[in-house]
Amino acid sequence: MVLDEKDNRNVWEKIGDYFSANSIWMKWYCTGCGAIELPPTMTSRYDMERLGMGPMATPRQADVLLITGYLSTKTLRRVIYSYEQMNSPRFIVAFGSCTINGGIYYDSYATIGRLDKYLPVDLYIAGCMPRPEVVMNGFNELIKMIKKGQAKGWKHYQENYEWYKKNQLDSLGEVIIKDEFHE
Amino acid sequence: MNEVKLFLGPQHPGMHGNYSVHMYVDGDIIKKARPTPGFLHRGFEKLMERRYWMGNLALIPRICVPEPDTNEMVYAMGVEALANIEIPEKAHWIRMLVLEMARVAIHLMSLGSIGGPTGLYTATYWAIAQRDLLLDLFEELCGARIYHMYIVPGGVRKDLPEGFTDKVLAMMDELDEKIPEYEDLILKHPVIHARTKDNILLPAEVVWELGVTGIGMRSAVGKEYDLRKVKPYAYYDKVDFEVPTATYSDALTRLNLKVRELYQSMRIIRQVIDKMPSKGAVNVPVSTGSALRWTVPAGMVYSAVESSRGEYGYFIVSDGKEMPYRIAVRGASYPQGLLGIEKYLKGHRIDDASLWMDSMGVCTPEIDR
Amino acid sequence: MNSMNNTINEIKAALKPLKMETPAFRQIAVVVKPDTVHNALSYLKQKGFTQLSIVTCVDWIKESEFELVYILFSWTEGIHIQLRARIDRDKPVMVTATDIFPGAQYYEREVHEFFGVEFTGNEDAAKPLFLEIWDDLPPLRKDFDPQAYSDSKFPMRERGNEFVSEIGGHDDE
Repeated sequence: MVLDEKDNRNVWEKIGDYFSANSIWMKWYCTGCGAIELPPTMTSRYDMERLGMGPMATPRQADVLLITGYLSTKTLRRVIYSYEQMNSPRFIVAFGSCTINGGIYYDSYATIGRLDKYLPVDLYIAGCMPRPEVVMNGFNELIKMIKKGQAKGWKHYQENYEWYKKNQLDSLGEVIIKDEFHE
Repeated sequence: MNEVKLFLGPQHPGMHGNYSVHMYVDGDIIKKARPTPGFLHRGFEKLMERRYWMGNLALIPRICVPEPDTNEMVYAMGVEALANIEIPEKAHWIRMLVLEMARVAIHLMSLGSIGGPTGLYTATYWAIAQRDLLLDLFEELCGARIYHMYIVPGGVRKDLPEGFTDKVLAMMDELDEKIPEYEDLILKHPVIHARTKDNILLPAEVVWELGVTGIGMRSAVGKEYDLRKVKPYAYYDKVDFEVPTATYSDALTRLNLKVRELYQSMRIIRQVIDKMPSKGAVNVPVSTGSALRWTVPAGMVYSAVESSRGEYGYFIVSDGKEMPYRIAVRGASYPQGLLGIEKYLKGHRIDDASLWMDSMGVCTPEIDR
Repeated sequence: MNSMNNTINEIKAALKPLKMETPAFRQIAVVVKPDTVHNALSYLKQKGFTQLSIVTCVDWIKESEFELVYILFSWTEGIHIQLRARIDRDKPVMVTATDIFPGAQYYEREVHEFFGVEFTGNEDAAKPLFLEIWDDLPPLRKDFDPQAYSDSKFPMRERGNEFVSEIGGHDDE
């Protein structure tokens, strides 16, 4: 998020960051079309696991939330739920141009414009859609950032919680999930 | 026993895409289920009304992420029908080549994705890696792995690169060796058999009730109900292929049909390369006006193509202006993905829910649009 | 092609359509009055058009009309039929087709959500489907402006000088 601050971590935090950078679990939530490039990244051709990353089923045990492309408001509600269930330190990697400014869906009534208004983004991966090599390069970058203590999006979210909540409510109306039975 | 309300998905590894099913469960038996689409809703039908006819080429492949070429073909066919364009012979052959390559790729992917709901992840690793080699061919053809934007109204964007057909043939030879291995691994595996045999039935009357098409329909009805045969487009009437069918439709039958369709697609690809003229134009100008702002004569037309999951159609309305007046998309998995889940998911176990969607062929982005 | 001509003649005799045309290869467009849509659908189903491909709607805002489109397909003959009917835009009501084609249920629900057409007899039609907490006009109507909605709800990134410095700010080891 913010890159220019000086390193004021204590030694334990440095050690913690070092270890967490080497075992990253990314949450298995395919939010948009970029998710189609994740299976090739995970499976034998590109094999993400050699970087020390793997998919994780539940948000509570995951470190990285991938936002793979555009987010409709309906998905954003669930993404916020999921993000708030994750334990700190938690990181968000956003794919493609849609998360930056809406991309090709800039005038859509259903998808949001910029993601970092609602959730703190640590790293953007460019491209529509990003190729597996780019995705892996991005993960590599994320690992470096975590080691240096630069991936501080989650702290930013804690400190500016009110601002994020206000933006979420402004755009989404309410962040609540109802069932489909309409009873 | 009390019934419990359970939201399955969208964030769940055992869910098929960004989709959710809300259900009441008793133990692990689903008592009542409601599909919840809309997580991938981007409002395409509205956006397409706000783009030029040519600009829409960037939007349409994104409607169904795993299978973009079908969308391009449907759009191109619709616009050509409206503007009354005859496209050159070679363009037809190239389109068929691309469509069948795409069919091989998506069938490989769906063979692999059976690993998710059943837990047989070896299948995923093998089949997806194999598909990736096919994507390399697409990349050589048009510069993109996923969204090709290659089939355009009036033909295809440009001619095949030099030596491309040889590479495709080499890939077909490789697949000839590899697919039997996948069959051994996937179709004969005891895990897959335990989960799919006599499970997730689709009787013929349900097919007609819901309007299911594609493999689901053919596996239950036993007739060659394939748009490539029934209402041939491009040059599908000039190639020789079979449409595999069955009369008892469980999940295993449908998997089997997928593999048999793979072989037929490869057969078509070989014939296409054999029959394709080496020279000739691959596109014609569509309409008058400047390159981007061409107009299409007014009219309403429905165009349909056989995708890997069934009939994929666009209803295109033009009022003679620079932008489409309305485009409605018929996603192939609409019937089974919505009404099918509501009516026929109940009675299955929770862990079969995503297998249900996988084997019925539900593609969530095309439902949501 | 012979069967195509036969089908056209039979439909013409049975439905007495307002207009009939063949917009594309093996495709028939039939325009009928809205109150005869239900009968026409059940007649066509008997004729072998057993598959309902899509139910959709076109907003003709200048004429202040909605045009409902039912697309049917006959697998035995390989013919698509567009059955079209225009209804009033201010009070759009249509009889449901779910008793003939059960598969129409979700299409009607979608048309209700995107255009605001009511389907009498389809209880589920009024429930939200794709959109959640929607607070504006039905989005596919022509008088709905998605750009304005998007701008008001989802503000865009304001680009200043920091955009440039962000690019250069990231150094490798």
